[in-house]
Amino acid sequence: MGNLELIVEKHSERIHHGLEVLPNLRHGLPEGLGNKRWTAELILATYEMALTGDLPKNGLEYKTGNSGGGFDVLGWKNNGSAKVESDKIDLSIELNKRDDGKKITIPLPIYGGGMSFGSISLNFMLARARAAKRLNTFMSTGEGGYPDDIVPYRDHVITQVATGMFGVREETIQYAPIVEFKYAQGAKPGLGGHLLADKVTSEVAKMRESSMFTSLYSPFPFHSVYSVEDHKKHVDWIKTVNPRALVSVKVSTPTDVDMVAIGSYHAGANIIHIDGGYGGTGAAPEIAKKNIAMPVEYAIPKVHDYLMSEGVRDEIVLIASGGIRTADDIAKAIALGADGCVVATAEAIAVGCTHCGNCERGRGCQVGITTTDPELSRFIEPEWGETRIVNLFTAWSKRLRSILAGFGLENVRDLRGRRDLLVRYK
Amino acid sequence: MGKQEAEGGCGVVGLACNVPLEGKYLLQSLVQMRNRGNGKGGGIAAVGLVPEQLGVSEKILEQDYILQVAYLDKSVRKQLEDEHIRPFFVVDYEARVDAVDDYRTIPGLEVEPPEVYRYFVRIKGDVLEEFVRKNNLERLKESEVEDEFLYQNSYRLNQQYYSSLGKKKAFVVSHGKNMVVLKLVGYGDDVVKYYRIEDFKAHVWIGHHRYPTKGRVWHPGGAHPFVGLHEALVHNGDFANYHSIMEYLAQRNIHPLFLTDTEVSVLLFDLLSRVYKYPLEYLIEALAPTTERDFEMLPAEKKRIYRLIQSTHIHGSPDGPWFFIVARNDVEKNAWQLLGITDTSMLRPQVFAVQEGPIKIGIIASERQAINAVLGKLQEDQRIPGRFADSYWNARGGSFTDGGAFLFTVKDGGDGKVLECADKFGKVIDLPKQDWLPNSGSSVSLNASIAIQLQKGPKAQDPLGFYDYVRPALRDAGFQYVGEILEELKRLAMKGQESGQFAIKTLSVLYDRIYDTGNKKRSSLLQLYREALNDVFSSISMSNSDLYTRLDWKNRSRLVHPLGSQVLVVDALEFPAEGDESAARFVVDAHTQGWKNILLYNLRGHRFIGSGLGPRTNGLKIDCYGDVGDYVASGIDGCEITVHGAAQDQAAQILKYGKLVVHGDVGQAFMYAAKGGDVYVLGNAAGRPLINAVGRPRVVINGTCLDYLAESFMAGDPYNGGGFVVVNGLKPSFDGRYVEQEYPYPGSNLFSLASGGAIFIRDPYRKVSSEQLNGGRLADFTMKDWELILPFLQENEKLFGISVKTDLLTVQETQLDPRQVYRKIEPITLQELA
Ligand code: SF4
Repeated sequence: MGNLELIVEKHSERIHHGLEVLPNLRHGLPEGLGNKRWTAELILATYEMALTGDLPKNGLEYKTGNSGGGFDVLGWKNNGSAKVESDKIDLSIELNKRDDGKKITIPLPIYGGGMSFGSISLNFMLARARAAKRLNTFMSTGEGGYPDDIVPYRDHVITQVATGMFGVREETIQYAPIVEFKYAQGAKPGLGGHLLADKVTSEVAKMRESSMFTSLYSPFPFHSVYSVEDHKKHVDWIKTVNPRALVSVKVSTPTDVDMVAIGSYHAGANIIHIDGGYGGTGAAPEIAKKNIAMPVEYAIPKVHDYLMSEGVRDEIVLIASGGIRTADDIAKAIALGADGCVVATAEAIAVGCTHCGNCERGRGCQVGITTTDPELSRFIEPEWGETRIVNLFTAWSKRLRSILAGFGLENVRDLRGRRDLLVRYK
Repeated sequence: MGKQEAEGGCGVVGLACNVPLEGKYLLQSLVQMRNRGNGKGGGIAAVGLVPEQLGVSEKILEQDYILQVAYLDKSVRKQLEDEHIRPFFVVDYEARVDAVDDYRTIPGLEVEPPEVYRYFVRIKGDVLEEFVRKNNLERLKESEVEDEFLYQNSYRLNQQYYSSLGKKKAFVVSHGKNMVVLKLVGYGDDVVKYYRIEDFKAHVWIGHHRYPTKGRVWHPGGAHPFVGLHEALVHNGDFANYHSIMEYLAQRNIHPLFLTDTEVSVLLFDLLSRVYKYPLEYLIEALAPTTERDFEMLPAEKKRIYRLIQSTHIHGSPDGPWFFIVARNDVEKNAWQLLGITDTSMLRPQVFAVQEGPIKIGIIASERQAINAVLGKLQEDQRIPGRFADSYWNARGGSFTDGGAFLFTVKDGGDGKVLECADKFGKVIDLPKQDWLPNSGSSVSLNASIAIQLQKGPKAQDPLGFYDYVRPALRDAGFQYVGEILEELKRLAMKGQESGQFAIKTLSVLYDRIYDTGNKKRSSLLQLYREALNDVFSSISMSNSDLYTRLDWKNRSRLVHPLGSQVLVVDALEFPAEGDESAARFVVDAHTQGWKNILLYNLRGHRFIGSGLGPRTNGLKIDCYGDVGDYVASGIDGCEITVHGAAQDQAAQILKYGKLVVHGDVGQAFMYAAKGGDVYVLGNAAGRPLINAVGRPRVVINGTCLDYLAESFMAGDPYNGGGFVVVNGLKPSFDGRYVEQEYPYPGSNLFSLASGGAIFIRDPYRKVSSEQLNGGRLADFTMKDWELILPFLQENEKLFGISVKTDLLTVQETQLDPRQVYRKIEPITLQELA
C-alpha cells in the first residue's frame, strides 16, 4: 500500500470512529458544532441513528432544533400512549394519484433530494443511490448530470431537468421512473414575472427599478416555458421521451406558490414539490434563502388548502423539502398538508457532515461529502454510506410509527392535513 | 384587488379579409390548437358584418351600437331591459342570438352557455342631452359623448348584474358598432358550433381558447375576447405587474370588473385609443416600449416622442410574456382592423401571414399550422388557390424595424373593400404582383418533351439534374406546364419502385428549393407540389413489400418490421398531436421495429417528432411533410431529420448528435441547451435560438434571428471540436435569388454572456456593431475560420442550393475574399472580464 493510501485509510477510520463515539457524549457536546436549527444535539442524534438504526437511547434530543421558529415551535398535542400496534402502521405513500395506470409506491414518506454531481462526491452519490435502492425509495441527480456509475441504480434515481438542462439527454430521461423539473428559485412556472435578465439592463428596467415591482429580478425559468400552456408542452415532451415516467415539478415557495401548484397540476405534473428556503448545504447566499421564498411550514398549508378548494388535491402529490431535519419535521409537514418529504442535508449529516458551511471552500468538504477531490471523497465508502443512510431512515420510521400510534392512526396518509394534532409553542 | 383568474396561456387566431368570410373558417384552426387551451373558456369576435344576416338595414348596422347581453339567468331579462336598455335607447331591432337547442349535443360542453340577446340601439336624444349637461361634456363631439354614455351604461349593467355580490346573472358581451363577441365555457370552436355561426360572415374574426388555471367554477364572462368599446381583444400571456396596471387604471377612474389580465389590457387599449386618442403607433409604443439598441436606432424625432410616451405610461405598460390580437372597428375612418402586438421580449408564440388571390386575407396566430388550417379550409372550398400564404413572418418586439406589431386594415377601395397590411410605423407591406393558380378544371395532358426527359433522358435518375433542367421552364412557363410536369411525375410514381423514388425526390426538390417562379406565385406552386406529393403518398399501398409502404392511424396496428431498406410512409393526419398514441410515439415504435427510413406526411402541428428515440440512432432518417409541430428533433442522438417546410417553436432542444435540415424558418427557443448536431436552416430563427447550448453544435442559419442569439453559449473551442453558429442574413427574393436582409442581425443581445464557441456572421457592410454584444466581442475573421466553416457552407449549398461562390461570397456582383464578407464574434474570457 502506498503512503497516500495509508493516510486515506487512517483518516477514514478516524472519521468513522469519531462518528461512532461522539454521540455517547463521553466528552460532552462538542463546542462550535451546529447552529440553532441544526443543534449539536440534533447532529449527534443523527450520527447515532445512522449508526444504530434506532432512536437515541441516551437522551439526545432527536426531534427538534432550537431555532425559535419553523417546525421548532410546533409540537404534538397530547401524544399519549400507543393506540395502535406499531407493526400494523403503514408508512407508505403513492407518488402518483392520477388515474393513468402508472403506480409508484414508496414504503416510507421520504425520498432523497437533488444534490448534483460535482457539488457532491461520486461516492456520496453512490451511497445515496444504494440506500434509495435498499429502502425502495428514490434519490435525485440534481442538475449536474447523470454519472454512469449510478446507472445500475436507475430504478431509484430521479433525473432532474433544470433550466440549464446540463447532462439532460434522452437516455437519462428514459432511465428515470420520475423526472423532476426544477424551476429557478423564485420563478413561477406559467405565471409571468419572468423578465429576461437582459431586460433588467434596459432603459425601461432602469425606470422600473424605482417603482414597486418586485418580480423584476426573479430569475427566468426555462427559456421555452413562459406559461402553463408551455409548461404542459414541456411535460408532454418528457412524457414522449419516457411515457412511463412520473413528472415532478420542483419550485421554491414564492408568495403565490398556490398558483404555481395549480398551474403544475394543469400542466400534467404528478408531484408538486415545494422547496422552502432552509435547505441546502450552506452555499446559497443568505439573502436568497431568506427573502425570495416563504418558509415551507407556511407554504405547505397554503398549497394544500388551495388544492383542496380547487378539488384536485387527490390527483396530485404534494412533497415538501427545505429544512426537514427529523422524523418529527416530516410528520409535522404531513400534518400541515404534505403527502411526504424530500431530504438531503440529513443524509449528508448521516455520513458525517458537521453542517459547517464550508462546502465550496478550498478542496471542499473535509469529510468527503461535497468535494470532487479524489482523496477526500474516499472517506465515504459507498457501502458504509448506504448503511448509515438506511439506518437513519429506519430510526425515523420508528419515530413516525410512534407518533402515528399515539394518535391512533394506522396510516401515514391519514395524518395528512391534521393540523388539529399540532400545537404552537410560544 | 387581486386577480380573480389566473391565465395559463392560450391558442389564438385572427383573420382579416377584403370579403366577408364565414365563421366556419376559424373552426379547423381552433380544433388544431385545442392543445393550447383546456376547454374552460373560448370565444370569438367578429367585426365588419353583413346587414342581411343580422336582419337590419345597412344604415342601422352602420349607425347603431350592437349591444349584446349574455343572460346566465334568463329570468332577469325583462328587469334588466327595463332598467338599462329601454329608458335610454331607441332599440331599432332586437333578437335572441341563434344557438343549438341543447348544449349537450356538443360533445365536451359541460356548462350551459348563456342566452345572448342582441339589441341594435341608439341613445335617445334627451338622455344624451341630459348626460352632456350633467357631466359638462359640451366640448366633446356627439359621437364621443355617445360612446361614453354607452360605455358607462354597460359598466353599470355589469356592476349590477355580474360582479356585485358575486351574482353573475348577466353581462354585456359586446357593445361596439358593427362588431359582436360570443363566448362560453368550452373551446373556441364550441362557440362557433353552439351559436351556429358557421355561416355567419364578417371581415375580421378572432378566435380564442383559454387555459385558465385558477377557479373551480368558470363563467363565460371570464373567457376572451374582452371588449373596450369598438374593439375586442384576446391575449396569450400573463402580466407580472397586474397590480401596477390596476393602480394606473384606478388613477384614471377605471375599475375592471372581471379581474383578468385580458380585461385590463383592453381597458388600457380603449383608454389610449378612445380617451387619449393616440394614433395606433403611439398606442403600441405605450404598451410595448422600444428599448435598448432598438431605441437608439430610432430617428431623433421618434426618440423624443417615444421617450415622453414611455415616461408617461411605463406603469401602465404590461410587463411579462404577452401577445395581443385585437379586432376593432375604426368607426371614424370606417375601417375594420386586425392587429397583433407582441411584448418586447417576444415571450409568446406569434406568426403573421398574408395571401393575395381572388380574395386577400391576413392571418395572425400562435402557430403556423393554425394559419395553414384556415387557408386549407378556404382552399378546400375553392375560395382561394392554395393553403400556403404568400408570406409568413414574426414581429420583432419593441423594435425599430417593425415595432413588434402588424395590422391588417379592411377599408373602402375603388370597388369594394381592400385589405392593407402595415407595421407599427405604418410601413405598408406590399406583395409583388404575381399570378395565382386559376381555379383548375382544364384537364392536364401529357407533355411529350417532359415525358421523354423523365423516362429516357440522362436526368431520369437524378432529381437535382432534372430540377436544373426544368428551372427555366418553371420561371417562364405557366401553371399549365407545371401541372403537366407534376402529372408526369405522378404517373412515374405508379410505375415502379425506382421511378417512384425518383418522383418523390424530384417533387421534394421542387417543393423545398427557392427559385425564380416568374410571374407565378410561389405559394400557388407550393399548393400544386403539395397536392402532387400527397397524391403520390396516398397511392402507396399498405403493408406490401415494395420500397415504400404506408400506414395511417386506422392501420397503425399493422406495423411490422421492415424488409431491407424499405421506407415507411406514415399518414399522420389522424394521429394525436401529443400523448402516448401520438405520431411521435408511432415513430418510436417504428424505429424499435427496425425501420431506418420513415416519412411522415399530412402533419398538422404534431409535436415532438424525433423525440423518444433514445441514444445512438445513427442511420435513421426521418422526413416530415406538412406542418410539423413544436419540439421537432428535440433530443435526437444520431439520426437525421429533414423538415420539408418550416419548423415551429422549441425545435431541436437538447439535440445531442445527428443532423437536422429545415427547409424554412424555425420558431422560438430553437436548439435550447443543445449539445451538438449539424443543423441547417434555410430561413430565419425567431427569438432566443441556441440559448445555453454546450458541446459541439454546428449550425448554419441562412436567414437571421430576432433576438438573444446564443445567449450563454458554452460550446468550447470551435477549432477543437467545439460549436459555432453561422448566420448568413439572407432572404429569398420573390424572383428566387438570395439577397441580403436589411440587417444581418437586427437585435441586441447577440452572444450575451457566452463562454465558448463562436458566431460567424455574413456582414459585408459591417452593420453589426459592438453595442449589440453583451459579453462577446468582434474578432478578426481569419482563413482558419473560413476553413472551419467552409465544409458546412458546402453542405448548405448541397441542401438548399445557396452557392458559396455566387450567393455567399459575391457582394454587388463582385466575388470577395471570405475575410471581407464574414465576421467573427467570440467570447471574452472570464479572466478578461474580471
Ligand atoms: S463542508 Fe462538508 S461537513 Fe461542512 S457543511 Fe459542507 S458537507 Fe457538511
